[in-house]
Amino acid sequence: MRTTRSLQAAGLVAASALVLAACGGDDNGGQATGDDGGQATSGGTLSLWHYEGENSAMGIAWDEAMRIFEEETGATVEFEEKSFEQIRQTANMVLNTSEAPDILEYNKGNASAGLLASQGLLTDISDAVAEYGWDEQLAPSVQTTARYDENGVMGDGAWYGIPNYGEFVMLYFNEDLFAEHGVAIPETYDDLVAAMDEFVANDVTPLAMSGAEYPAGQLFYELALSQADRQFVNDYQLYENPVDFSGAALSYGAETFSEWVQAGYIGDYSAGLSAEDMGTAFIAGDYPMLYSGSWWYGRFVDEIDGFDWSIDTFPGSDLHPGSSGNLWVVPTASENKDLAYQFIEITMRPEIQALLGNNGGVPVDADPDDITDEKSEELITVFNEISDADGLAFYPDWPVPGFYDDLVGALQQLINQNATPAEVLEQLQLAYESGLDNVPN
Amino acid sequence: MSTPTQQRTRPPQGGRVTGKSPVYWLYLLPGGLLFSVIIVVPFVMNVGLSFASWPGVGDIAWIGFDNYTRLFADDTFWASFRNSIAMIIAMVIIPTSVGLLLASVLFDVIGKRFGGRAASTLRALYYLPQILPVAIAGIVMGWILRPQNGALNNILEAVGLGDLAQNWLGDPSTALPSVMAIMVWVQIGYPVVIFMAALQRVDPELYEAAEIDGAGWFRRFRAITIPQIKPETFVVALTCTIAAMKVFGPVFVLTRGGPGDATNVPSYFAYQNFFERANVGYGAAISTVLTLIIIVLSIVFIRFQARSERKERG
Repeated sequence: MRTTRSLQAAGLVAASALVLAACGGDDNGGQATGDDGGQATSGGTLSLWHYEGENSAMGIAWDEAMRIFEEETGATVEFEEKSFEQIRQTANMVLNTSEAPDILEYNKGNASAGLLASQGLLTDISDAVAEYGWDEQLAPSVQTTARYDENGVMGDGAWYGIPNYGEFVMLYFNEDLFAEHGVAIPETYDDLVAAMDEFVANDVTPLAMSGAEYPAGQLFYELALSQADRQFVNDYQLYENPVDFSGAALSYGAETFSEWVQAGYIGDYSAGLSAEDMGTAFIAGDYPMLYSGSWWYGRFVDEIDGFDWSIDTFPGSDLHPGSSGNLWVVPTASENKDLAYQFIEITMRPEIQALLGNNGGVPVDADPDDITDEKSEELITVFNEISDADGLAFYPDWPVPGFYDDLVGALQQLINQNATPAEVLEQLQLAYESGLDNVPN
Repeated sequence: MSTPTQQRTRPPQGGRVTGKSPVYWLYLLPGGLLFSVIIVVPFVMNVGLSFASWPGVGDIAWIGFDNYTRLFADDTFWASFRNSIAMIIAMVIIPTSVGLLLASVLFDVIGKRFGGRAASTLRALYYLPQILPVAIAGIVMGWILRPQNGALNNILEAVGLGDLAQNWLGDPSTALPSVMAIMVWVQIGYPVVIFMAALQRVDPELYEAAEIDGAGWFRRFRAITIPQIKPETFVVALTCTIAAMKVFGPVFVLTRGGPGDATNVPSYFAYQNFFERANVGYGAAISTVLTLIIIVLSIVFIRFQARSERKERG
């Protein structure tokens, strides 16, 4: 009975809420305009969404950018903290309503910003880019993810976003474990294989790995990239030519990955491990090497205190998974586009870029003299080398929506050794092609 | 749904409530309104979208039955339904049968020998996993089942059974049984609580008479407990079957359907298409098929229950 009454009461409350909501109308289009809000100033209000942690490099830098923005423009920033998943899953529904913010952080790539751009939900900001000169601040391979053609394919066409930071995938070394086992830090691909053999001979699994999330797919892609050129990346990511998964590069990636499992370089138990499991195991000093992204860097600086560690790019490859970071995009429904551009301009200033760099981020346009932290300098130097050499090859799951799950599933089979590299490549080929049907081009 | 039917079959009480009273319809209004807004409208839209190709934004392209033809030829779809059968075993068959036994032991043996408080405490402990948010229970279970430093493998090694240590959630041969075992743990408290409540209303004289006639515990369980609480058994089986068919949370938290498709289920498969693959039409088709199966199963259950009740009434 109590349940019935509670349900009835809940029903009445919900029904009343619906009725009240219907009566409420949309007198000012939600929070977006805010011109008549209590705290509004003569400068207006900029509603802004992002999903970076408060203590992350981006969180710190953008907080300062908001402060400067309010000081300089007299406008108020109405900041709403969102989660990555929240924005990813609901942006397409929210952005064409009056609830859309004036500016937001959004995931880069064809399936994300590209899709929204092709559907007319994002503003073409090319004029603002020319006016503020942002194109001159961004390296060509960083620009790729900011520009989309009419089909939402990145690389060419109008500007739809501006990234403030970059990211890339590299090798992290636990120098103490190398010293303990008398192994030299590898500089070439052959060194790397020899070092892993030595660790295996010493009963140590050399590479921390996660099969349940992105790391395995990124290693597979890096191995493929070591046999590929920029044209392969353009075919795979930008659909310039059909991709043959049984071709030289991807076959090498899958076969080598499988051999690494058989040789014990990668633990055959790692199929069910998450990226967090992998990272914390490296932090705990359980593995000599980790192959993963710059997003771990700040955390390693904070949390690793038991051993010395260093980084390097994956040896024997000119191309590496990586890209610009997420983008500042301006929804078509934004009512304060000029304020949004002014905010982006502040985030690209040297002081904000330096703040990003000194807090473990990888700024896209920092003045090297402004980077005072030694560890940060090491990271930014490696990124600049890759970026200057046009070595950012994006991520393996980008080309088609949902390919992430397919890659995870495929690599788990290689880790568990219950499918051959050829079978896995065939599955990936099918998933890639059926995914292409959903890409509007 | 059952209230109006029952009222029609009963004589009007004091002439106050009749099927034609306008007040009667007024009471139905909030529920009807919410049912339409939350269930009917989204369901109709979902069925509509299942005939479309749509990435979630922009124009909708109508493609007729293409999503359905593709669906029936899709191995992942069939794999997900095979896994649903495993979920029915883990969430309906095992918990209902074990729950029946546990409830009977708690009520008939523990309750009588050690007092009602002992039985209530045990019942609460069995029910605990039902109170835990599934995301938290899933994450903790994920830690316990980790291949390295996971509590289960560590315990097995500590007691000299290290050979039995497994990559529980990472190996396709153990992932589904592991998820099933977790679901049994999650689910078991629900039938225990319902069945213990049901046993309260069984006339104690029946048990006493049977005991005097020399019937042992198992005989009493078979001849009195099972037939007496049949209506509750139907309810538990039906609600648990529906829960098993649409299970999502534990799979999402524990395995994300992997490794491969080893633990994929229809709800997660629909979610993947809806949100990950920007393939809203196909996701809608999967959801529609799932909903239809649940509706058919519910009708079969309710018919079966009604027939069984009619038979009992003679």
